[in-house]
Amino acid sequence: MTASPRIIAIENVTKRYLTSSGPVEALHEVSLAVGEGEFCTLIGPSGCGKSTLLGMLGGLVPLDSGRVLVDGQPVTGPDPRRVATVFQDAGLFPWRTTLENVEFGLELQGVPAERRRGVATELLGPLGLRGFAGKYPRELSGGMKQRVAIGRALAIDTKILLMDEPFGALDEQTRLLMGEWLLDIWRRTKKTVIFVTHSLQEALLLSTRIAVMTARPGRIKSVLEVGMDYPRLMESGELVALRAKLWSEIREESLRAMGGRL
Amino acid sequence: MTLRVRALQLASILAALGAWEGAARAGWVDPLFVPAPTAVAIAFARIGGAALAALADTLGKTAVAYVLSVVLGVAAGLVVGSVRLLREVLNPFVIALYGIPKILVLPWIVLVLGFGAAPAIFYGTIHGLFPILVLVMGAVRDVDRTLVTVARSYGATTWQLYWKVLLPAIVPSVLAGMRLGLVFCLLGVLVVEMFAGVRGMGYVMSAFANGFQAPELFAATALVSAASIAIVLALDHLNEKLSHWRG
Amino acid sequence: MTVLVRLALLAAVLAVWEVAGRAANPLMAVPPSAVLPALRELLLLRSYPDLPASLLLTLREIALAYGLAVAAGLACGFALGMNRLVGRAYGPMLAALYAVPAVVWYPSLMLFFGLDAASKIAFGFLLGFFPVTLAVLAGIRQVNPQLVTVARAYGAGPVRVFASVMVPAMLFTLVGGLRTGLALSVIGVIVGEILGSKRGMGALINHAYGLLRTADYVALVLMTLVLIVGSDALASLVERRARKWSE
Ligand SMILES: Nc1ncnc2c1ncn2[C@@H]1O[C@H](COP(=O)(O)OP(=O)(O)OP(=O)(O)O)[C@@H](O)[C@H]1O
Ligand SMILES: [Mg+2]
Repeated sequence: MTASPRIIAIENVTKRYLTSSGPVEALHEVSLAVGEGEFCTLIGPSGCGKSTLLGMLGGLVPLDSGRVLVDGQPVTGPDPRRVATVFQDAGLFPWRTTLENVEFGLELQGVPAERRRGVATELLGPLGLRGFAGKYPRELSGGMKQRVAIGRALAIDTKILLMDEPFGALDEQTRLLMGEWLLDIWRRTKKTVIFVTHSLQEALLLSTRIAVMTARPGRIKSVLEVGMDYPRLMESGELVALRAKLWSEIREESLRAMGGRL
Repeated sequence: MTLRVRALQLASILAALGAWEGAARAGWVDPLFVPAPTAVAIAFARIGGAALAALADTLGKTAVAYVLSVVLGVAAGLVVGSVRLLREVLNPFVIALYGIPKILVLPWIVLVLGFGAAPAIFYGTIHGLFPILVLVMGAVRDVDRTLVTVARSYGATTWQLYWKVLLPAIVPSVLAGMRLGLVFCLLGVLVVEMFAGVRGMGYVMSAFANGFQAPELFAATALVSAASIAIVLALDHLNEKLSHWRG
Repeated sequence: MTVLVRLALLAAVLAVWEVAGRAANPLMAVPPSAVLPALRELLLLRSYPDLPASLLLTLREIALAYGLAVAAGLACGFALGMNRLVGRAYGPMLAALYAVPAVVWYPSLMLFFGLDAASKIAFGFLLGFFPVTLAVLAGIRQVNPQLVTVARAYGAGPVRVFASVMVPAMLFTLVGGLRTGLALSVIGVIVGEILGSKRGMGALINHAYGLLRTADYVALVLMTLVLIVGSDALASLVERRARKWSE
C-alpha cells in the first residue's frame, strides 16, 4: 500500500477556531500521507478535529499553518473535479428528486441535461435506487438517503472521496450492509477514500489503513495497517487481535476527551 | 362529518340571509342602513357593469403593486437575509417598518404623488412588501447550513448558491408571504382609493357610503370580498402544487 | 458593534432627510430641523390647542374598541372551539373572511355609524376581534386532550378543567393573539380617523395635511407613533409577564 504514489499529503497542519470564549485549537501539527487507491479511516474521540481535517481536504476550512496537498497541489478551495465529499447528515436538497440530487454536481459544472441524466440514471442501479428516481428525500429511508448522497458524490467521478461518518445515523444492520456495498463500489472504482467513523468494527472491516487521532487538539496518534483481503470477517483471529489493539489506543484518548471521568 | 359540516355552513348562511331578509321586510331594521338581501341583489344588477369596471381598475393597480412587492421583497429578503451584517443591522428597522401603520404617511404620499394610480400602486407596494420581506429574511437565515456547505463543496458559484440552493429552499416561505402580501396589497390600494381616489372600488364604495346608497354599497362590498377570497383560494391551490416536495 | 452601525445608519437617514428636505418644495417635505420647532409648538398647545382632547378621544376609542374585541373574541372563540362540529363549520368561514382586506367593511360602518367616534370604534373592534378569536381557536387545539381526560378522571369539574388545565396550556398563544388584537384595534381606529372624521388624532393629521402645514403634519404623525409604540410596548410587557408565569 505504501508503495502506491501519494495522492494526499497533510503536512504539519494546525487549526485554531476563534470562538466567543477564546481560541480553540482543533488540530495541532497533524501530518498524514495517503496513497492512491487507499481506503484510509480517521477515528478518534468526538471533537478531536476529524471533520475539520476533512473540511481542509475538501477546501471548505482554511488552515492556519502547514500545508495540505492534493495531487501534489496545495488546496485553496473546493475542487469538485478532484474531491467529492459525503457529509454526515446526507444534506440532500429536499426539493430535488433522487435523480436530480444525484445530478447536482454535474449540473453545477454545466454538463448538458441529457448527459448528466444518463450518468445519474446509470448510477441508480449500483446505488440500489432503481425505481426511486422520481422520489423526494422525504419519501426515502435513512439508508436510501445516504446512498443518494453517495451517488451525488460518485456522479462527479473524482479520484478522491471524503466521507464524514456517512453511516453514523443508521441502525446497525443497515450500517453493515451499507459497508459491504461501499466496499464493492470502492473496489470497482478504485477511488481513494478518506473515511471518518466512530465504529471500530466499520473501520476494521473497510480500511486499508486506520489513523487514530488524539483528543483535542487533534494529532495523529498512530496508524494501523490492515493488510487483510476482502471480504473480511469480524470473527477472524487476525481482526480480533487488531480490534483489541485499536480499542486500547482509542480508549485512552476517549477517556482523555471526557476529562478522565467515566 | 364533512357532509354535516357543509350542511351546517350552508344552513347557517341561508338562515342568516333569511333572517336578515325577514327583519328588513318586517321593518325591524332601517332599510336605509341595512337593506334586505333581495334589495342588494337588485342593486347589484343595477351597478353590475360599472362595479366590474371599478373592480378591474382596482385589481389592475393591485396587480402592479403585487408584482413589485413580490420581486422587491424576495430580492431584498434574499440579500439581507444571507449577509449576516446586513441582517443584524437592518432586522429591527424592517420589523419596525412592518409594524408601524403606514396610513400615517398616506397623506404625505398623496401630497407628493397626487391623485390617481401612482399613490395607490406605491402605497399598495409598501403594504405588500413588508410581510414578504420579513418572511423571506427569516427563511433565508434558517436555511439548513449543511445544504450551503454541500453546494460550496460541489463548487457552486455565488450565483448558483442563490439560484439553486437559497431560492428553492425558501419557496414555502415565499408562497406564504405571497398569500399575506396579496391581501395587504389589495388593502393598500383600496385605502388609497377611499382616501383620495377618483376611480376604483375603494372610491366607489366611499361614494356609495357618502350618498347613503346602502344597497349599492353592500353589493359592492360583497363583490370585492368575493374577488379577494377567490384570488386567495387560487393562490392556495398554486401553493399546494408548488410545494409538493414538503409532503 | 451592530448597534453602532444601526445608529450610524439612522444618522445617515436623518442627514439625507435634512438635505433633501431643505432642497425640496417646503410644501412637500420638511427637514427634521423644521420638525423640532413644530413639535415644540404642538406640545406647548400653541399650534393645536385641542391636542389633549383629540388624544383623549382617540385613546377612548381604542380602549372601547379593544375591550369589545377581547370580550367578543374570547366568547366567540370558546363557543366555536368547544364544539367540534361548530368549530369545523365556522372556523374556515372565519378564515375566509380573514382573506378579505378588512378595509372593505369600513364604508358600511361609516354609513351605519356615521362620521363620529362610533364608526372608528366599530372598525377597531372588527380588526381586533379576528386575531383574538383565532388565537383562542389555535390555543384550544394546543391543549393536550389527554390532560383534560386525566383531570376529568381525577374528578375535576368543567370549571376546574377550564381554569387549571386549559387556560395555562393555551395562555401563550392566547396572549400573543391579545397583543396582535391590540395592535390591530389601534390601527383600525387610526385608519378610521384618517379616512374620515371630525375629531381625534386622525382628524388633526388630516387638517394639517389639508392646509399643507407639513411640519405640523410630521409632528402630529410622530405624536401618534408614540401612542402606537407605547401601546405595543405595554402589550409586550404583559406578554412577557404571562410567558414567565406560564413556564
Ligand atoms: N466553525 C467552528 N467554530 C468554532 N469551533 C469549531 C468549529 N468547528 C469545529 N469547532 C471545534 O473544533 C473542534 C473539532 O471539531 P470537529 O467537528 O472537527 O470534530 P470531530 O472530530 O469531527 O467531532 P465529531 O466526532 O463529534 O464529529 C471541536 O472542539 C469543535 O467544537
Ligand atoms: Mg465530525
